[in-house]
Amino acid sequence: MSSAPQPAEDTSLRILELAGNLKIRDVMTRKVFAVTRTCTMRDVQVIMKSNAINGVPVMDDKYLIGFISVHDIMNAFEQGWMQDPVTKHMTTGVHTLSEEQPLSFAMSAFSKFPYRRFPVVNRHNELTGIITLRNINMALIQELSRQLNVIETEGGRITPAATSENCIFYRIYRIARYDFESGGKASAELREQLQARGVAPKIIRRAAVACYELEINIIAHSYGGTLTIYVDRDRVRITANDFGPGIPDIDQAMSEGYSTASDWIRSQGFGAGMGLPNTKRLSDEFVIQSGVDMGTMVKSVVYLNPQEKPSDENK
Amino acid sequence: MKKLKPLIDALSAKPVNAPHGWDEREIKGIFASDLISDILIADGEDILLLTSLLSNQVLRTAEVIGASAVVLVNRQHVPIALSKAAAKQGIPLFHTPLPKYESCVCLGRLMEPV
Repeated sequence: MSSAPQPAEDTSLRILELAGNLKIRDVMTRKVFAVTRTCTMRDVQVIMKSNAINGVPVMDDKYLIGFISVHDIMNAFEQGWMQDPVTKHMTTGVHTLSEEQPLSFAMSAFSKFPYRRFPVVNRHNELTGIITLRNINMALIQELSRQLNVIETEGGRITPAATSENCIFYRIYRIARYDFESGGKASAELREQLQARGVAPKIIRRAAVACYELEINIIAHSYGGTLTIYVDRDRVRITANDFGPGIPDIDQAMSEGYSTASDWIRSQGFGAGMGLPNTKRLSDEFVIQSGVDMGTMVKSVVYLNPQEKPSDENK
Repeated sequence: MKKLKPLIDALSAKPVNAPHGWDEREIKGIFASDLISDILIADGEDILLLTSLLSNQVLRTAEVIGASAVVLVNRQHVPIALSKAAAKQGIPLFHTPLPKYESCVCLGRLMEPV
């Protein structure tokens, strides 16, 4: 049984823990007030006033074509443009987030861009919601309340949402950019944990190498991030989250031999462009998501008993 | 399969870190590379790793793939940091003046089935 995670020294790490496995779609507002391209700036102002909102997406069928903010309305009021169609004054090329992305991506987006809200789209690029800092704060407060409730009712043991009673080992590692000295600490600890539980050497090796590849990826290619290891009776789950810069072309990053490593990284013996393909090869389940300027999330799952596919519980 | 000791002797390799019982370790295969990404793809168990890389990550990588021992080729001396890291990790580490190709040829002959 794992020990409960201790309060982290670093607030951002604690927040990432709270965000856990939440996705943008779990916290976004789904009821969106939008207008079509034929509406006027006055129509938008009325919608904003009657619904107490600060931004309205402009839609063409289900697709987002622009955005009108309070600032745009104030500007139109001043310039006498209130009867103009929205398409004349809307902001185009709006930065959107995908509903499948981890909540940590949205947190990065808010810290990197000056916007107060992001329209959220589904995999077909159709608008499905809006996310604001308020949504994120509410989600984090809810998770905090849930944990406090558990402390009160169960005498002090915090069980993060990501864990369950089957959990054997659960730890979050903070990983700094270019800190090659510390690279491999998480995988060494994972190896020890699995060895102590008598897991087959071949499985230990697969999990340890996948973990090591993901650690090195954060060190060599990101601005820093976290690596979470979760082990239960059936599987090892390794989740790497970083704060950017993100991967513009995932298919290219997944092809063997493709690497963006600098000469310095290569001088450390890395950068052959095998990290992600190798991790995928070793994993029984593999998921990668990335947003440019927002970060990358990679999840690798290795089954401890490969002949029996684990049940979906706690996946 | 061979014992580690005759392989180390054949390379005229000197110990940097030789934990108790190192000479009894069994070696099933040899892997030589200077690219960590390649080492991480190496299959097989009980490997003797040959490399000319001198970063501490070599030892981490060896540990991650479960290598039995590491030989630094083409090396007369080994950085103190590396020998300290080997002692801390408890992994057998040696160095040989032989270049990598010569080392591989030498070990290849020994590993051939009789």
